[in-house]
Amino acid sequence: MEVLFFASVVGYFAATMLQTAGVALNREKLRKAAYGLFAAAFLLHTAFTAWRGVEAGRLPLANQFEFASGFAWSAAVMGLMLYGRMKQEWIKTVSMPVAFLVLSYAAFQPMEIKELMPALRSTWFALHIGSATFSYASFAIAGGMGLHYLIMLRKGHSEGETRMKQTDYMTYRLICLGFLLLTVVILSGAIWAEQAWSRWWSWDPKETWALITWILYAIYLHQRMRMKWQGKRMAWFAVIAVICVLFTFAGVNKLLPGLHSYAV
Amino acid sequence: MKKMIRYLRSMQFGMLLLALVMACSFAGSMIVQQREPMEYVTRYGETWAQVILFLGLDDVFSAPFFLLLMAGLCLNLTLCSLVRLPKTIRAGKALLQRAENAQDVQPLDEGQREKLIGYFRARRYRCTERNGKNVYVKNLAGFYGSFLTHLSFLLILAVGAAAVLTAEVTDRAVMPGETVTLEDGVRVTVEAFQIVDETGRLDYASRLCAETEDGTKRARKEIRVNEPLGFEGYKIYQQTYGTAGSVRIDNLANGASEVMLLTESCFLTLDGRNGMFFQALYPGYVTAEDGSVTLITSTSGAYDDPVYDVLSVADGTMTPVLAFPDETLTIGDVSFTLLEPVSYPGLRIKHMNAAVLGALYAVFALLVAALYLCFFMTPVAVCVNENGYAVISPKTQTGLMIELEALLGEENA
Repeated sequence: MEVLFFASVVGYFAATMLQTAGVALNREKLRKAAYGLFAAAFLLHTAFTAWRGVEAGRLPLANQFEFASGFAWSAAVMGLMLYGRMKQEWIKTVSMPVAFLVLSYAAFQPMEIKELMPALRSTWFALHIGSATFSYASFAIAGGMGLHYLIMLRKGHSEGETRMKQTDYMTYRLICLGFLLLTVVILSGAIWAEQAWSRWWSWDPKETWALITWILYAIYLHQRMRMKWQGKRMAWFAVIAVICVLFTFAGVNKLLPGLHSYAV
Repeated sequence: MKKMIRYLRSMQFGMLLLALVMACSFAGSMIVQQREPMEYVTRYGETWAQVILFLGLDDVFSAPFFLLLMAGLCLNLTLCSLVRLPKTIRAGKALLQRAENAQDVQPLDEGQREKLIGYFRARRYRCTERNGKNVYVKNLAGFYGSFLTHLSFLLILAVGAAAVLTAEVTDRAVMPGETVTLEDGVRVTVEAFQIVDETGRLDYASRLCAETEDGTKRARKEIRVNEPLGFEGYKIYQQTYGTAGSVRIDNLANGASEVMLLTESCFLTLDGRNGMFFQALYPGYVTAEDGSVTLITSTSGAYDDPVYDVLSVADGTMTPVLAFPDETLTIGDVSFTLLEPVSYPGLRIKHMNAAVLGALYAVFALLVAALYLCFFMTPVAVCVNENGYAVISPKTQTGLMIELEALLGEENA
């Protein structure tokens, strides 16, 4: 059944290429084909995730491969939902490469299904890790939108004031969603840690980096909501903050061993 | 003084503190914490070790400067919340008035007006008539989102600190069958302990029985890593585990017999000269093709092929022996029969105030709810009159404006 996984990687890649070509050449047919391919790859990815969940007898979010796959799946869900609601081409242009890149990262992780270790057998598992996948996906797409905004700006507003505003606004809304979900991740993690290890907070590297990410986005939101920062500065902020998200997601597991080391 | 208070409650000060907490957290995650000074010298070299130790970066999260930052954050949040509340209440009350008096209206024709009213009704805006003008309002509770977010964050810091400071924690290794009596007379008995379940899957579980001093209240539970036992203000965790050797000692001279658990190296003797010196217990061994045996020194599971590493001490001569369970060493008048090892749990017993615990859960829920109010319930009032419509909100209503543009056509929005 791994073929489903690799088919979805290829599907996301092909969708990204077609969408990029469709945007660059301004061909509607290519963009439509990209969307169809993206939806098909998403269905394959969903089927793979469901199969893996059934095979493992648990939610498939227990190690780096499964989490990365869940992260990419969340990005695809969000991309499809946002596009379905707003019907804006640039949403596809941003979410397709995010899903593809994250799933490609997953492809390089060990894929074997392992039994869930005792520390992860908890009712908090689904909420804590499920929220994390959607939180990271929100931040990653927001970063992509920030990049898209900067590219549009470089083109000299040729894309139109409304579209610039929309992109800026959607970046902010996605960061709001990601921030709320990251708060859920941190709080549910604290409750879970208290039940498992008797301590709410241990300053474990993963916890610490989740807090760093949370503070970074808290600063973003304050600058946006109180200081009324918008546009270019916020776009740069959204792009740079994704580096922190990616380090929390992958870098900590590889470089800073701690209580969350089983996530490797 | 006023200037100082203004700065202490300002957003700039709050952002500065958050940035410093972030920087400290970064340092605390990159530099190993709470180790011996020599380890820093080994890891980072003498110069950097001196810098780390001088700045207190070896224990960032307990360092006075970090605690000072947290105290500053609490002060900033308190002052900012106190100042924000009256303003928030006033702004909430003034929203309808502002909508009613709005001058900058977008023109509407009759068809667009119908569409707009239909849109508000579909999205459950509440319609209020004020001086002949219809004002559609939604999400007034959202006014308090920002205030409640800051308040709940402040409460998390305060209640979290109280939870940590008021908790009393004891770690105990308890053998199966053993009972520990806590300060207020509560008795906790480990009835059984397992490392793997009946299917062979790793599952560290202790069957506990806890009862009050007078025996009127009793609770029994199998505890695991995520399933502690709560009893009379105590929480008992399956924190760790260990495996002890076990030996039956028979005095051949008088027929006396005793079973002892071996948790650390010890010399078992009657006369102080002859006996068995227990050194270690190994979980198993591997036999190579050439017949050589390598001992396995650690395992996360049960001891499948335990090996005792002992010294037979007789008449001043020490003979190393690797022995298996059920083997007997006879030294003088004493025989030592090595038995199957016994696994035991390491329990963590935490006593904490239930009210503090409940308060902490409540403020966690409050923070999530407050963030939802803050981000997804933006208060808005839209005045629709004969001239057109005006949108009034404390936040930029880009999302609503985009939807209205799509609804009414760009030229009119």
